[in-house]
Amino acid sequence: MQNLLKILLRYSNFLVFIILEVAAFMLFSYNNAYPRSSILSTANEFVAWQNEQIADITNYFRLRSVNEELAAENAALRNQICSMDSAEKRDAIHYEAAKVVQMTTDQLHNYLTINRGSVDGIQRGHGVRNADGVVGIVRTVGQNYSVVLPIINTHSNLSCRFTKNDYIGTLQWNGKDCRFAQLADVAAHMVVNPGDTIVTSGLSPVFPEGIPVGIVENSVLKEGESYYRIRVRLHTNFKRLKYVEVVQNAHQEELEQLENGLD
Amino acid sequence: MDWTKQIGRYILVMILQVLLFDQLQLLGVCHPYIYVLCLLMMPITLSHSADMIIGAVVGLIMDIFCNSMGIHTAACIFIMFIRPYLIGAIVNDKDRLNEQISLRSLGMEALLRYVVILVVIHHLIVFLLAAWNWAHIGFVLVETLVSSLVTISIIIGYNSLRYR
Repeated sequence: MQNLLKILLRYSNFLVFIILEVAAFMLFSYNNAYPRSSILSTANEFVAWQNEQIADITNYFRLRSVNEELAAENAALRNQICSMDSAEKRDAIHYEAAKVVQMTTDQLHNYLTINRGSVDGIQRGHGVRNADGVVGIVRTVGQNYSVVLPIINTHSNLSCRFTKNDYIGTLQWNGKDCRFAQLADVAAHMVVNPGDTIVTSGLSPVFPEGIPVGIVENSVLKEGESYYRIRVRLHTNFKRLKYVEVVQNAHQEELEQLENGLD
Repeated sequence: MDWTKQIGRYILVMILQVLLFDQLQLLGVCHPYIYVLCLLMMPITLSHSADMIIGAVVGLIMDIFCNSMGIHTAACIFIMFIRPYLIGAIVNDKDRLNEQISLRSLGMEALLRYVVILVVIHHLIVFLLAAWNWAHIGFVLVETLVSSLVTISIIIGYNSLRYR
């Protein structure tokens, strides 16, 4: 017994080393097999928070510049597509990238503010789109900022057409869900199926023809009514709208003057 | 020995480690663990067992920050275990040491040998356990080489500035 104690004392350092290492490896294997223990996860929450702060700060600035570059590049590419298109009408169209500064989606009369104004050549009546589809029409123009009337405003009226047969309808909004709009003026003789694609008609100079708007979610034809009630799922995600492009049509003023002159 | 000074240095080094060196990513192979500076520069006043327990605590805290339970703990306990033997092997004149591990007490050659051996062993254990697969041995060796170089330079640089 005494000898054993002597040996233990003599090798006590080595024993401590073995015990500690075994504990470390148990921790290692335990952590590989099971979720972290509560003490360590709380600590990790602090660590994660700390990491998130750092990532937020660094990524945020980087993302912003990257996004702006991409938005400008998109506008430039659209300009290139337009210049390649032989249609004379499209030659006059210029896209201006803009950032959404402020926006509401949960009111009847939603508006959004963009960081481009008269300095950048924005005028009342210019169309606004993003990469996914139609956003709205410029309503008020300031020097550096503009207010846009989006298609999710009950005042909005947008001429649209079905891609499958070029049938024209008017896109309106009932003020309920910013993901869906309603297509009016579609007569009962037409066949409407869910999934039909709807694009801008190109009848007004605000938008060129064929900018995506949405797809038909469902359609109802009530007895005794001669027009469909069509629910359209919008391509544009207004909840996450960050960058848009303003459609500047050089012939817009001329066209509008001509149309007004008819009255 | 002034332990408040040791703890203060530890906190400073940990802040540097977590906020700066853990963010550093050089081709994915550079993960210097400069926190071992505190363990390597610790005076040898305490008993061998106490040293290993301190190593376990320091490693565990690092593990919590790295989300790598047990890896740093195991590596730190191991280098604290071999540290006294290494000092015994490197230093001929123990009296000159005066319980301090520094450039002044060891001299550049012995300090360099001491730091290189312990840092490489520590980093190798950490990266081996983290990889947990012999298939990655080549990558682990490169990672150990690059990271150890950075850690060693920082520890030697610290010593040359502090104990000129």
